[in-house]
Amino acid sequence: MAVAEKFDSLEEHLEKFVENIRQLGIIVSDFQPSSQTGLNQKLNFMVTGLQDIDKCRQQLHDISVPLEVFEYIDQGRNPQLYTKECLERALAKNEQVKGKIDTMKKFKSLLIQELTKVFPEDMAKYKAIRGEDPPP
Amino acid sequence: MENFSALFGGAEPPPPPAALGFGPAKAPGAGAAPAPASAAPPPGEDAARKAAAGPFYLLRELPGTTELTGSTNLITHYNLEHAYNKFCGKKVKEKLSNFLPDLPGMIDLPGSHDNSSLRSLIEKPPICGSSFTPLTGTMLTGFRLHAGPLPEQCRLMHIQPPKKKNKHKHKQSRTQDPVPPETPSDSDHKKKKKKKEEDPERKRKKKEKKKKKNRHSPEHPGVGGSQASSSSSLR
Repeated sequence: MAVAEKFDSLEEHLEKFVENIRQLGIIVSDFQPSSQTGLNQKLNFMVTGLQDIDKCRQQLHDISVPLEVFEYIDQGRNPQLYTKECLERALAKNEQVKGKIDTMKKFKSLLIQELTKVFPEDMAKYKAIRGEDPPP
Repeated sequence: MENFSALFGGAEPPPPPAALGFGPAKAPGAGAAPAPASAAPPPGEDAARKAAAGPFYLLRELPGTTELTGSTNLITHYNLEHAYNKFCGKKVKEKLSNFLPDLPGMIDLPGSHDNSSLRSLIEKPPICGSSFTPLTGTMLTGFRLHAGPLPEQCRLMHIQPPKKKNKHKHKQSRTQDPVPPETPSDSDHKKKKKKKEEDPERKRKKKEKKKKKNRHSPEHPGVGGSQASSSSSLR
């Protein structure tokens, strides 16, 4: 089963469950004696709904959710903001590391250049071991 | 000029392989060290490699060029451009209700307010069995309810953030208990109507005042009139 299908199935069950709870809330909010059978039915729907959601667990055991997302949800914030911030942080860090690597490469080539001027023999040996470095 | 190997290597045994750096520190003017070839090869598994390295020791293998590092754009490497453009290209709405628009209830409030946080579900998991069993007839007797509406404090389910989709639900709740939601809206309507009714009368009065002013001050009829008109427009 594709990942999207797994989520679709869970989403469908959750939506049905929420809708059932909403209807249950409406029945309870102004209860009439005639609606007792309807209430009992809804209560058992709730149990079967929970069973269905529980069954979805088997298909989603390989999905992991970062705990930080829960903080966003608990604060009433859109969890997509977490994804956004994660991507932005990843890109910023990526750029930082790339900058460091590029600078170190430049430093290395300059160091080799200068050392070759001062210690030509040793650097020839060094280059024989390491091989010529590509320009940064 | 001093020998390069004299600066970075010497007769002394090199530090253990775990140590970082270029070996024992030596002053630049410490004199020419003996040839590194004469130095005793350091004990260890890579002694042979170091000996082959000539005047150098502590030479480590360079990281492979195929290794994934931060020098590549990792977002494009993992094909996440679409996700990046989706979430970072446009503004993402702040509230949880924008993400779950069909979920009933006030979901934008912090979970700690009504004890509905997901954190608490992890930190204090509910004590329950491992399976869900349907309720039997005797169990359902516990759910026999008294007829009548719920008390005010228990009606959280029906409080909704203003949305177009939930108009239907509002109507339902109003039919169940029409008194609290309708009274403020009615009063608002009355106020608006009153304002509308008062407006033409005020205008007439102002016009009369303007006329009187113009009569009393014939020297500057235009100025007074413009001021009055501007003030009326402000009001």
